[in-house]
Amino acid sequence: MEEIKNQSRREFLKKISVISGSAVALSSMPWISSYVNSRAQGKSPSDKVRLGIIGVGDRGRLLLLTIQEFRKEANVEIAAVCDNYQPNYERAVQLAGSGAKAFYDYRQMLEMKDLDAVVIATPLHEHAHIAIDAMNAGLHVFCEKSMARNVEDTKAMYDTHLKYNKILQIGHQRMFDPMYLEAIDRIRKGEIGQVTQMRMFWHRNNNWRRKVPGGNPVLERKINWRLYKEYSAGLMTELASHQIQIGNWIKGALPVSVMGAGSINYWKDGREVYDNVALIYSYADGTQLIYDSVISNKHYGLEEQILGDKGTIELEINKIYSETPPKSPGIQQLILDIEKGIFDTVPIGGATWIPEVGVRDKGEFISDKYKMDEVQLQLEAFVKYVREGKAPEEMTLQGYYATVCALLGEQAIAEGKKIGITV
Amino acid sequence: MKDIIIKGDRLKKEIIIWLICLAAAEAVNIYSIISYKTNWIELITQLHFVAALSIIFYFAAALIRWLFGLIKPVKK
Repeated sequence: MEEIKNQSRREFLKKISVISGSAVALSSMPWISSYVNSRAQGKSPSDKVRLGIIGVGDRGRLLLLTIQEFRKEANVEIAAVCDNYQPNYERAVQLAGSGAKAFYDYRQMLEMKDLDAVVIATPLHEHAHIAIDAMNAGLHVFCEKSMARNVEDTKAMYDTHLKYNKILQIGHQRMFDPMYLEAIDRIRKGEIGQVTQMRMFWHRNNNWRRKVPGGNPVLERKINWRLYKEYSAGLMTELASHQIQIGNWIKGALPVSVMGAGSINYWKDGREVYDNVALIYSYADGTQLIYDSVISNKHYGLEEQILGDKGTIELEINKIYSETPPKSPGIQQLILDIEKGIFDTVPIGGATWIPEVGVRDKGEFISDKYKMDEVQLQLEAFVKYVREGKAPEEMTLQGYYATVCALLGEQAIAEGKKIGITV
Repeated sequence: MKDIIIKGDRLKKEIIIWLICLAAAEAVNIYSIISYKTNWIELITQLHFVAALSIIFYFAAALIRWLFGLIKPVKK
């Protein structure tokens, strides 16, 4: 398995080296060029990158374990962990090992003299003040998406990043996914023609609740923060922002407006955030990004459908389709026509009406399957940027814009009107 | 169980019938290439379809021959 991973890693690096050198990539994904071209890490203690992890719930635990996977190769160490919820704190101590200091209060962690950067995986409403305090303290920041709970805090985080010239990387891991990189490269090179519409959705079927020990009402809002407007915009900040980021990345632009609707029509359990949303983001060139998310049906799962006049891409299943697929062999067409002639019923519109069925094309895979974890890739990239002391601004902007778009989408739903998007 | 003996002449006859069916199937392939304006390389790439079609033709021919075999004594 290790050998497969190493081989896959070599193939991945080779592939993205090729992609990253192109003019398209330099403009549309400069963070990959930086990742590929950053200097190799040394093994000296002075070259070691020391990280602190703030927020070690489900996501923080995943990030911690992921960092531990590559810590030797990347010369990175988890120097400290922090969580103010006792079960998470204890788990973090156990996972990080005896070499890491543990804190309940992140401000004490920020006083450590030998930290280089922090990884923030707290509930959304805490991202802004922790990230700002960390950058004020001279640390680089990796912050899980979305950036912050409101547009003002999001801007404050971004302004602090500019003021102190500290890295601010937001956890949109698809920006490091080899398949997405290849797909975007091919889209930008015109393989599916002009992108005229994007359809994205994320459908689940669960109540999004986490178990509250003993049904303690005090812990309800702490543990199920995603369900309350004070802490989260629900589907918009927790799910939609990923896909809106992809839409902006493909268009190379921000949308100019958004309108939408949302409601709680199924999970009527006291939550405040919508359990279904439907929005349209409009770009300046007239392209619409049609977005919806529900958590009461998972039949369609999640997908990003990119529609061009020459082809279609479905990113989550790694497929590209042509508008004019090659014709089937003649003998197969003949057999099919004979079958239709014998077995088909006359359509309701009469014998001359032919229903407009979609293009029947199985498509082809965009990219070979790499056994690479994009979460790991994005964290490896973060470590490399920290070592270099800089990261491409475009990467931070992707996260900034995705968050603003998600939050303005929430506002459009709440106000029931079209909102202009300006940053 | 009785042994089934297939004589050389009979085998030769069946093979010739199948080859005729194969030629007919390839003729269908040629017709479809012309009608649907596809590539002549399909003469080779669709041989598996042609082979399958030839077997269908062979069994259809066998059925017709069997029916004729039933009618023949009656006619006599």
